[in-house]
Amino acid sequence: MTFLALTNVRKVFPNATTPAVDDFNLSVQRGEFVSFLGPSGCGKTTTLRMVAGFEHPTAGAITIDGRDITGVRPNQRNIGMVFQSYALFPNMTVADNIGFGLKVKGASKAEIKQRVAEMLSLIKLEQLGGRYPYQLSGGQQQRVALARALAIRPQLLLLDEPLSALDAKIRVSLRNEIRAIQRQLGITTIYVTHDQEEALSLSDRVVVMNAGVIEQIGAPFEVYNFPKTAFVASFVGTLNIFEARVSDPAAGVLQLSAATILVSPSHLSGRRAGEAVKVAMRPEMIHVKSTGAADENRLTGVVENVAFLGAVARIHLRVGEMTVLVDEFNNPHLAVPAVGSALTCYFAREGCIVLA
Amino acid sequence: MSQRAGWFAWLIFMIGALYFVLPLFGTFVFSLQKVRGSIGFSAYTAAFANPDFLRTFLFSSLIAVLTIVASLALIVPTAFWVNLRMPRWRGVVEFITLLPFVIPAIVLVFGVIRTYGKPLTLFGIPLLPPLLNTELSTNIVLVAAYTVLSLPYMYRATDNGLRAMDVRTLAEAAQSLGASWVTVLMRVILPNLRTALLSGALLTFAIVIGEYTIAAFLARPMFGPYLQLQVRNRAYEAAALTIVAFALTWLAMGIIDLITRQRSTPLTGGR
Ligand SMILES: Nc1ncnc2c1ncn2[C@@H]1O[C@H](COP(=O)(O)OP(=O)(O)O)[C@@H](O)[C@H]1O
Ligand SMILES: [Mg+2]
Repeated sequence: MTFLALTNVRKVFPNATTPAVDDFNLSVQRGEFVSFLGPSGCGKTTTLRMVAGFEHPTAGAITIDGRDITGVRPNQRNIGMVFQSYALFPNMTVADNIGFGLKVKGASKAEIKQRVAEMLSLIKLEQLGGRYPYQLSGGQQQRVALARALAIRPQLLLLDEPLSALDAKIRVSLRNEIRAIQRQLGITTIYVTHDQEEALSLSDRVVVMNAGVIEQIGAPFEVYNFPKTAFVASFVGTLNIFEARVSDPAAGVLQLSAATILVSPSHLSGRRAGEAVKVAMRPEMIHVKSTGAADENRLTGVVENVAFLGAVARIHLRVGEMTVLVDEFNNPHLAVPAVGSALTCYFAREGCIVLA
Repeated sequence: MSQRAGWFAWLIFMIGALYFVLPLFGTFVFSLQKVRGSIGFSAYTAAFANPDFLRTFLFSSLIAVLTIVASLALIVPTAFWVNLRMPRWRGVVEFITLLPFVIPAIVLVFGVIRTYGKPLTLFGIPLLPPLLNTELSTNIVLVAAYTVLSLPYMYRATDNGLRAMDVRTLAEAAQSLGASWVTVLMRVILPNLRTALLSGALLTFAIVIGEYTIAAFLARPMFGPYLQLQVRNRAYEAAALTIVAFALTWLAMGIIDLITRQRSTPLTGGR
């Protein structure tokens, strides 16, 4: 059942020529974790702020649980919000920060105290209730901000790039913690990020945005493996993209600048021979060993560079005019090719995506 | 910071400190020399013995406190709103608050006398009776005039304090937790402005205590005109009064600091 719905939402800022957000349609289920993913300036924050009530949509409607909240003031919406800059109240202790929402709502002292203790244990900072924000690390501050937002038992939790100000290690551990808490409470959550790894690893569904519009909505698996647009394909994950010309649409034959390859014929339905298209493949779909399949694609070139990325080694292979990225899973027996040596790589036709 | 830069900073600081302290010190030394050939506090005894001293000083202090209250009530919401919602108006508001620097007090007070010395009318419709007819209403005009004088200091201080925190995000965080605008201002913004407002209040207090022109022309029993009278007739007592006024001003501010410290959350120490 739809819990949060945005219908034809549009936002044009005064004096702006193009809308910051346009034609935004989204239904979020109760308890779902949805990410907005897109480059800086694509309208993620603006959309989130419209849900929170800090910006008013130029057009369209936002409903929560069937109730239109477009005209409801932000302090009446009961929506928890976590900001990139933590935004803890510097004059209050951790406990007072967490209890602020309940105090404003007129809860009793005992009730506040109990809820604060509950929240402190949820974020595993039981000992730090008496500290001031400036006495905490960034990661601790953001956990307090999360507890503060959750203390009021919001119907919706919004997080705007909550981990962007933290360093890499804490980013990963805290994002897992956020997700675990979200699951535990079953709270409907919208998470804004420009980091695709964050969006893919956390979300039930990802909303990929670009220039104020939605490019694709889907589960991480779908968005990654079946990108609907060239933007999604290139923004989510790493991708080889090459100019190509259709040779034989029925057989799935494409002509690249330096080679001929096969793709699934279904990808070329409706294309005519001679038509220019873009073909894309993920680096991890390309291998340096042949599977021996008859219709396997192969490209031979010169190794330009080998970048060691931890879990994978990324080989930059120069094939004529093209540079092909090939990811090989790392293992102690991996034969890393020498820079300058010749190498042939192989990929299945099913691993190719044809983009409009 | 390099060694050289450190030395330079110290040098500037020492010059500044001397510039500030030397006249005060000179005045203090002078005030001790009332009895020829000896050092002593007789100028102070004499100054305190005059009942006009305490009367004018207390009256000035009262006016100063009222001015601070009026100024805070006017400036804090204005600066808050300009920072949050109308950054484009910042230039205009800044210009207005700086006007007291370019309009001499004498011009201001003549304007006040001309405007409020007779019934105030707008297009022939009477709005106010002459305000300078009664003591109470004259005092109100006095506070209003001093509020205008305090604008540059109060606005600067408040604006600096607001810029030092992320007002917009803090306000939004509080709002999302259910706080109204009034609650945001009283519980979140004001407590974090304490230091900034205190410095604005200190400057305002000092200005009102020492102000002469407006007080004299509105004929109010303020400390400034009293001090001026002493300077003309009794130089040593005047020097003593200056020192005492200075000490009392700092004491008053210390008390304000203590009171506000206790009223906000008790442990608020770090900033
Ligand atoms: N208050 C505002 N006034 C005018 N333009 C704005 C305002 N806030 C955001 N924008 C513009 O709207 C677009 C989307 O911004 P934003 O939602 O912050 O992007 P994101 O969060 O995805 O980085 C940007 O072009 C930005 O410049
Ligand atoms: Mg943003």
